[in-house]
Amino acid sequence: MSKYWILTAILLPILGGALTPLLPFKKREQMMIYVEAVMLATSAIVIALIAHGKMSIFEVIYFVRGLSISFKIDGMTMVFAGLVSILWPLATLYAFEYMEHEGHEKIFFMFYSMTYGVTLGIAFASDMLSMYFFYELLTLVTVPLVMHTLTREAILASRKYLYYSLGGAAFALIGLVFLLSYGDTLEFTMGGVLDMAQVGDKKNLLLTIYLLAFMGFGVKAAIWPLSSWLPQAGVAPTPVTALLHAVAVVKAGVFAIIRLTYYSFGCDFLRGTWVQAVVMGLAMFSIVYGCSRAVKETHIKRRLAYSTVSNLSYIIFGATIMTPLGLVGALCHLICHAFMKICSFLCAGAIMHQTGKSYIYELNGMGRKMPVVFTCFTISAFGLMGVPGLAGFISKWNLAQAAVESGNVQAYFGIGCLLISALLTAIYMLSIVVRAFFPGRDFDYGTLQGIKDPTWKMCLPLMLFAAAIVCLGLFSSPLVGFLQDIAAGKY
Amino acid sequence: MAFVQNVPFFSIMISMFSGIVSSVLPKKPAKWLNTAAISVIGAMSAWLLGYMIEVGGSYTFMMGHFPAPWGNEIRAGALEACMALVFCIIMLLSMLGGRKKLDEEVEHSKHNIYYILTDLLLSSLLALIYTNDLFTAYVFVEINTISACGLIMIRQNGRTIEAAVRYMIMSLLGSGLLLMGICMLYDLTGHLLMSNIKEAVHGIMEAGTYRIPMIITIGLMTVGLAIKSALFPFHSWLPDAYGYSTVSSAAMLSSLVSKGYIFLLVKIFYRVIGFDVICSSKIINVLFVFGLCAMIFGSVSAIWEKDIRRMIAFSSVAQIGYIYMGFGLGTTEGVVASLFHIMAHAATKSLLFISAIGLTDVSAGSRSFFDLNGAAYRNKIAGIGFTVGSLSMVGIPTFAGFVSKLLFAEAAVIHPSQKMLPTLIVLAISTILNAIYFLKTVIRIYVPEKDSVAKEKGFTTVSIKEQKLYTATIIAFVVLNLVLGMMSEPIIDIIQTGLGNFA
Amino acid sequence: MNQSITIILAIFFPVICGAVILLMPKFRERKKLLKASGAVLVLTAVLALCVVTGGDTELTLLYLGENLKLFFRVDALGKMFAVVISIVWLLAGFYSFEYMKHEQEEKRYFGFYLMVYGILLALCFAGNLITFYMFYELMTLSSVPLVLHSRTKEAIMAGLKYLFYSLCGAYLVLLGIYFLSRYTTTLDFLPGGTLDMTLAAGHEELLLTVAFLMILGFGVKAGMFPMHAWLPTAHPVAPAPASAVLSGLIVKAGVLGIIRAVYYIIGADFLKGTWVQTAWLTLTLITVFMGSMLAYREKAMKKRLAYSTVSQASYILFGLALLQPDAMTGSLLHVVFHAFIKSCLFLCAGAIIYKTGKTNVDEMRGIGKEMPVTIWCYTFASMALIGIPPASGFISKWYLATGSLKTGISVFSWLGPVVLLVSALLTAGYLLPVTIHGFLPGADYDYASLKKSEPVKMMVVPLIVLACLAVLLGVFPNPLTSYVSEIIGTLM
Repeated sequence: MSKYWILTAILLPILGGALTPLLPFKKREQMMIYVEAVMLATSAIVIALIAHGKMSIFEVIYFVRGLSISFKIDGMTMVFAGLVSILWPLATLYAFEYMEHEGHEKIFFMFYSMTYGVTLGIAFASDMLSMYFFYELLTLVTVPLVMHTLTREAILASRKYLYYSLGGAAFALIGLVFLLSYGDTLEFTMGGVLDMAQVGDKKNLLLTIYLLAFMGFGVKAAIWPLSSWLPQAGVAPTPVTALLHAVAVVKAGVFAIIRLTYYSFGCDFLRGTWVQAVVMGLAMFSIVYGCSRAVKETHIKRRLAYSTVSNLSYIIFGATIMTPLGLVGALCHLICHAFMKICSFLCAGAIMHQTGKSYIYELNGMGRKMPVVFTCFTISAFGLMGVPGLAGFISKWNLAQAAVESGNVQAYFGIGCLLISALLTAIYMLSIVVRAFFPGRDFDYGTLQGIKDPTWKMCLPLMLFAAAIVCLGLFSSPLVGFLQDIAAGKY
Repeated sequence: MAFVQNVPFFSIMISMFSGIVSSVLPKKPAKWLNTAAISVIGAMSAWLLGYMIEVGGSYTFMMGHFPAPWGNEIRAGALEACMALVFCIIMLLSMLGGRKKLDEEVEHSKHNIYYILTDLLLSSLLALIYTNDLFTAYVFVEINTISACGLIMIRQNGRTIEAAVRYMIMSLLGSGLLLMGICMLYDLTGHLLMSNIKEAVHGIMEAGTYRIPMIITIGLMTVGLAIKSALFPFHSWLPDAYGYSTVSSAAMLSSLVSKGYIFLLVKIFYRVIGFDVICSSKIINVLFVFGLCAMIFGSVSAIWEKDIRRMIAFSSVAQIGYIYMGFGLGTTEGVVASLFHIMAHAATKSLLFISAIGLTDVSAGSRSFFDLNGAAYRNKIAGIGFTVGSLSMVGIPTFAGFVSKLLFAEAAVIHPSQKMLPTLIVLAISTILNAIYFLKTVIRIYVPEKDSVAKEKGFTTVSIKEQKLYTATIIAFVVLNLVLGMMSEPIIDIIQTGLGNFA
Repeated sequence: MNQSITIILAIFFPVICGAVILLMPKFRERKKLLKASGAVLVLTAVLALCVVTGGDTELTLLYLGENLKLFFRVDALGKMFAVVISIVWLLAGFYSFEYMKHEQEEKRYFGFYLMVYGILLALCFAGNLITFYMFYELMTLSSVPLVLHSRTKEAIMAGLKYLFYSLCGAYLVLLGIYFLSRYTTTLDFLPGGTLDMTLAAGHEELLLTVAFLMILGFGVKAGMFPMHAWLPTAHPVAPAPASAVLSGLIVKAGVLGIIRAVYYIIGADFLKGTWVQTAWLTLTLITVFMGSMLAYREKAMKKRLAYSTVSQASYILFGLALLQPDAMTGSLLHVVFHAFIKSCLFLCAGAIIYKTGKTNVDEMRGIGKEMPVTIWCYTFASMALIGIPPASGFISKWYLATGSLKTGISVFSWLGPVVLLVSALLTAGYLLPVTIHGFLPGADYDYASLKKSEPVKMMVVPLIVLACLAVLLGVFPNPLTSYVSEIIGTLM
């Protein structure tokens, strides 16, 4: 398969998106078909590329002094690009119905599909600079999506998002520059690229820089104390929050952290140092912090956003174990969480779209009126809690196994954090479920007149995601096997 | 001697004579002459650049018939040609972009004065770039100051006159210090030609005599030029001068005038004193600290600013800080980064000024932030220009700003001493601050205003067709930015070899 | 029929049927609902019986992940639990056909009731810790609707409390599983434990901590101090038959979990004489005493029974904690006896509520005159629980006490029996007043207003059967005792 297909996959949604407001669509349906076709075509290309397997480096733009924008396909690429390409067309389908009443649709879908291309760019980036480039672009193309409603709140949220993200990237750049000077190459290589002869006695300096870069990328991954933009950005339309703040944007941050840790600095260099203790400690704290805030929050989307904060730190926790098994756990949760969180976010969106209610205390008794939505929500809630047989259990199992295997006492406490978080997850998710299905003895269903499940365009993605949660939970062996191969450096 | 080697001389002469001729010409021919002069000089510089890249090295060009060490010399190499080319392009674009505004803001009778001043400014800039003679340099520094003052004052209102007076005072203070420095150096060495001074200085340093006078000399010259180029804390004249003058002036002042002085400073460092001497003096530490302070202070002031023009002006303070921070590192890599930033900043800042004027024009001339809502929809091309400029300032890859940021960071990383971490941290913080005020503005101009409010405030809409020249200018600026951002390698090579030839 | 198919059917048939009942609107109709539920109950019981009689067998259902297999193994212990569960479930099920008349939303009740049944069977037959954990958690989730069935604010809060306590326990267990999967040869249940001593060497302290956390975790379900607070809140608010199975059986799931973890994975020898055993014994004795004490002070009938469960479940745990064969015999016997006794007591309390609406012990003067059969059943069950020979409780307590004395652990070997004895006295103190006041209301009782209000056969028969079992098993304990000793023989 030609290398230019990678370029096609990235450029197709970007250009296709840019064309959306320019093309003269007569009807809304035409635009929908056009956008969905672009998404599907892109996904098809991506999946074909992944199926084709590993691909060596491919330079597109030469920047300066050995720095270039270049792409390749390795294991991490396959995981991230594959994930994104599965989720995107479905979420788009959902967005068609959701966005019907939000206005500015053309602009919305323009940036929406551009984001797809940019996210793929992050996935396919072969070195730190290329990734950094798309990472910055990602911030820029998602800001219009966050401020879509143009309310004061949305503008403040998007500003905050912008400052946090760009600020984070500025620190990440420091890491990049150090890798440029102290590494053999910028290309992502399993085990790291640091030139030990050059590092010499500057180990502590490099560890400090790693911490800076980690925190820099950690902004997008919403690690405490840099997480406050995420719940605030929940003002965006739900397809955006679901896809971007549960999948693309935040996972790009996590993805970058994994690239930084495993593929650039190298976990052999970092393992057992003070910096590992620090980053792992941060991840552990974020896990508990996110959950506790979620319990306190009464706005459904913000609650899910805090839940994201906590779950992202699961992944980071896995990554900071800095063993191959840790990577397996991290990637596993990266995938599983994507499905679970997008499912729950889309459910929340469906609720808001159908009822206009967005606070948890307003959801009494809705389970009976919107059975499909709430069943899917319940499944995702159970999944997030880690009920065996669902996706969340598998990823937590792998994370915990990695922690136990590492023999790192701090990681043992990390398992404790995972479980505390699981309990808190149960509290904040199930209280919604119980409220929806068991509104109380004297509840008057008459007040919910006219509320019903949305149409198939919204329900189908929900059901597919819920099914995926179950399937991942029941048949995880091929996936985990694949991830183990990646961690072993086979891809 | 190849004919092309006459280019520097002709460049200076053409610009000077077109200024002189313009004084008797009516407005329109003056305008055309000015445009033609800048274009021709630009083209010639490009030619020279091509030639110099081919042959490599540099050459000196004797002015008049007195040979060294008495005569007057011009020296040219690839770096100088490249600078001249960039300066010409930016000046041309600034003139084109601000032309409409110029018509509105400046009395018609003063127009040809404006073109005279511009021509003189260009000639002085070129002279600063090419000269190999400290005294010539001083003369053109003064010409530069005077023409810059005129450019500020040409829009005759209270603000600009006050700004021009302040500028004049500060600038003359700087010139005075520079002159004292040159005098002392002349005393110490007995020369005015750069190459000869350098030999003499070398001898003095070897002998170990005149240590303190030497340091004072370096200090005087550096501080003099730093005042003129508005290094923090000598920047107080800058926001008013850039903020209230007509837009072409602001663009040229911020991107060219101060940069001319900085280039002269580089030449003094390398060609007159010798970079190792500079590094061993403590002056670079001072520059480093003030550079860092400027980066933070300029941005913080910009964040507090509610007037878009003044905001951009304060941003210049920060950017000048970057450049001095690069010098302050005291390594060749740092200076390379600074020189690249001179070009990158010139290309970006003038773009910002020009597009900001487009935005304020459609907002009933109000420069207050609160009136800019939705301005990017009312003037699309200005919106795009401003966005690109902002992204470049923040340092998004593919734009010019990113490359200079990268170069600064790299220079810091390979720096052996304690300056590494402060530089990197301040660089990152400054990026965040840049993002805060520039992108805040970008968001604001893309948030639509309600029609009723727009009508009430008298906002207008300008389509691309109505402002073809302006559109072309902005596009050219954007392209320039992208070229600097994506094809920076040859430019960096030129800077490196140029600096090598300086030594 | 193939044994493995039977296992799958026994587990999934009721679960699926329960789900169908929940989803199908046509079961709103009461008659259809009862018919369907009754049929499924009986059929499942038959299937369970087939499994139990069919001999030991193994079945690997599915690999969730590399080391995560869903694996069932029918062994003697599981069979015993399955039989007890089936008997009580069936009887309580029939009882609820009548009882649930005065509660709303019967469809939901029966749907979840059937699901929990299947899940409990799966727990009994679970062959490794993963499978056990999976169904343990599913049991929690599916039994919550039974607790908050009445949907009053109190019930919903109680349901959530039950849920979060249980999950808390489950996650402690999960923590243990994470570590055990590293330090054992396999997570399959093997008598005597599967700890890999070469791997474990040097990590003993870690593993002891893990074991303790697991005991605490499973102890939540069994109402062990300090995580017992949910039990007196959650059990009484459920409808009576649900309380009966919650108290009689679901509590035992925690016990089963501890047996599986301690005796089949970690190994009793590993814990013997360690601080874990001491701590565990202390906790159980505290619970035994505290439960009885609180029950004694409690006025509400069902709540009193719930406290009694707290105390009695810890009898069982105390026996297990002693890590001694005789004591363990006592524990397993008490599992069986307490299941019958406690469900009988709760069903009696339910019958009283159903017929008279009386919930407080003080109101029950003369109740024996109104509902003589019910109160006789109650009395027999109470005597069994107190441990009056020859009723069943005596046998189990006897084994517990002798086992305790045989261990020779300082302090606990004699303190245990003393606490058990005191608790037995308290048990008599909190159970018998109902009988006494019920049959002997005193001279001032107004016999004129007395009316017979015995419930219908559908409710009375289960009571009688359970009461008979409670007494007769004490009279003829030998088959059961020998069966239990056989199990224990493989363990220690």
